Amino acid sequence: MASGRTWHDRHFGYLFVLPATLMLAAVLVFPAFMTLKLSLTPEGGKGWTFTLSHYQKAFRDPVLLQTFKNTFVFVAWSLAGHLTVGLALALALNQALPGQTFFRLVALIPWTIPDVVAGIIYRWVLNPIHGCLNPLIQMVFPAFPAEFQWLSSPTLAFPSLIFANVWRGYPLVMVMLLAGLMAIPRDLYEAAEVDGAGRFKRFIHVTIPGLRTIIIIALALDMVWEFRRFALVLTMTGGGPGTLTEVLSTLVYKTYFQFFTFEYASAMAILMSAVLFILSLPYIFLVGRER
Amino acid sequence: MKCFRMSLLLLFIFVTMVGFSSSVSAQVKIRLQTWHWNETPWVNSLNDFMKTFNQANPGIQVVRDDSRYADKESVFIAQSQAKAAADIPHFSYRAIRHLADRGYLLDLTAFIEKEGGQKYLDQWDPKAMEVCKYKGKIYCLPDDLNPLVLMYNTVHFKEAGLDPSKPPATWGEFLDYAKKLTRAGRYGVGIIGARQEGLFMRFNPWLWGAGGEYVTADEKRSALDTPQALEGFKFYVELLTKHKLVPPGVIEQGAQEVRTQLAHEKVSMIITVPAAPGIVQAINPKMNVREVMALAPVPVGKKKVTSTWFSMRVISSSTKNPEAAWKVYKAWYDKDSQMRNFKIAGVLSSRLDVRNSPEVKGDTFARVFSAQTPYVKLEPLTAEWPKIGDAMITAIQEALTGMKPPEAALKGAHEAANRALGVQ
Repeated sequence: MASGRTWHDRHFGYLFVLPATLMLAAVLVFPAFMTLKLSLTPEGGKGWTFTLSHYQKAFRDPVLLQTFKNTFVFVAWSLAGHLTVGLALALALNQALPGQTFFRLVALIPWTIPDVVAGIIYRWVLNPIHGCLNPLIQMVFPAFPAEFQWLSSPTLAFPSLIFANVWRGYPLVMVMLLAGLMAIPRDLYEAAEVDGAGRFKRFIHVTIPGLRTIIIIALALDMVWEFRRFALVLTMTGGGPGTLTEVLSTLVYKTYFQFFTFEYASAMAILMSAVLFILSLPYIFLVGRER
Repeated sequence: MKCFRMSLLLLFIFVTMVGFSSSVSAQVKIRLQTWHWNETPWVNSLNDFMKTFNQANPGIQVVRDDSRYADKESVFIAQSQAKAAADIPHFSYRAIRHLADRGYLLDLTAFIEKEGGQKYLDQWDPKAMEVCKYKGKIYCLPDDLNPLVLMYNTVHFKEAGLDPSKPPATWGEFLDYAKKLTRAGRYGVGIIGARQEGLFMRFNPWLWGAGGEYVTADEKRSALDTPQALEGFKFYVELLTKHKLVPPGVIEQGAQEVRTQLAHEKVSMIITVPAAPGIVQAINPKMNVREVMALAPVPVGKKKVTSTWFSMRVISSSTKNPEAAWKVYKAWYDKDSQMRNFKIAGVLSSRLDVRNSPEVKGDTFARVFSAQTPYVKLEPLTAEWPKIGDAMITAIQEALTGMKPPEAALKGAHEAANRALGVQ
């Protein structure tokens, strides 16, 4: 069959992907190349002179190292939260309940809210003077002095930020897991039930194995996104108190736009991209294997 | 017949659109970058300027290009790299040299020479003008130069048994007054702890007032390890940590939040800029700010000193219409416009004829601000200032939230400042 196709037939498809390829090159490849070039340019330098000094500086920078640690903590807790809340809600929304479609839509709302808006909403809610969370706690527990400084306290700032991020990001994991749950054949549950498996055993031996690939893909994708989370952190805490909630994306932003050290910030961004690439390898591997 | 009418209608729409687009394209659009969209008096002043200018200059249309206060530099940098920056952005003095070094600002020297050179420049405060000169070029004209003063609620003073005509003049009195003014649901002082440049303006009078400095005179080393610097630093943070005279959540409070606290009577005293009375009035229209509030110089420690809000417009080097941009720029800086900014927004111009005008000298509020001009001090103009300033904000937040004792927090800032300055 293939031998009947002309060269023109075989290559005609490339013409259709050309616009998208050019667009990707313009918005992705070109800026990435420019960032790489900038990261190798001496500070304030122009043209094609190169140096590795920004990378040497990055590996010795205690602030960058601490920020990497902060970012990993932020990503790890966010992923754990997304998986827990996402799976719980996916299981609940997979039940044949009245108003199922309505609840599925409601559960998706946080995903539709832009990061900046979510950040501002949480700032208002958590504000110790004008916010509504402290009065709400006070109303429910009148004897309890609810004077929490959610975003100003060194112990509460990071958990508050992670809570907001879990709320903001669980719907993606939920939707993927819900799709996975709907794809698990009912016969498997019925067979397990006939064999005497209770709810918990059915969950462990049928649901989890059925979702395994989707969980890995969802977490791998989520990890990449959370690693880049920017606007929520910037609007909620700006990296504070001190640098306690500083993450890589906000540090790169600060180094570039506030310190005016474009070259060093570019080196940080390249290192961040390298880490992201390594972290996304399981996803790439899995997708490749599925094909 | 129907088809003929339809053709006529389409022809009419086409001709109208072509005519409209050609009339629009004949007009040069000049974008004025501003972050004042949530400060009503400023918005009124800007809108009035644009309306007046656009009416007088049909060939040029000035439009607002809004950004967030905290993002003004990042927006401009990103746009500049794409050669699409606003024609006339607005920055504080801290950013000018950095942006000039990167080639994002237009050298105005040639335009100024055409206007008369030094004679033209003599209209502005010479000290303020110096900040606009860099490496033999002139990148801006100084705009508003606003010394910071103490603004306080006279009704609260009376309620606390304090005489509103005798505001606190020393640090000791300030502390004493703040304690007396603090009561259930109200705090004596509102201070800023948010990560924004407005923090420096409110913090600097205490650091400098104690005799402290950010860097040594040669700007080669950090000077944050002196007892004077620690004294000023401790005074600021202990208003919250030791004396509990400041509302909670201070590191979430920026300049506008603190003004809001004053407007809604959650705090009794703040350190602020000349635009504040108008902004406070806009936040709480029920309050008669001119009757309720009063102004006084910042209480004096070891040195009489204050900081300033000092800003300037610049012209982007990527402007496609430098001549038109200069025309708008010049109009912004003329006496009428600067006087308008004073009358509507309450800000003080660097133009000497406006600063020394009977309107400014006769205004109850403006004359207090204006009288502090000789005591104004600027932060170091070193290239490393953004990093030093950032380290200081980190230290202030660490001390305010109890993450570190003031001594340790300031030591961290000192070490970070020295790292930024390349001190081994």
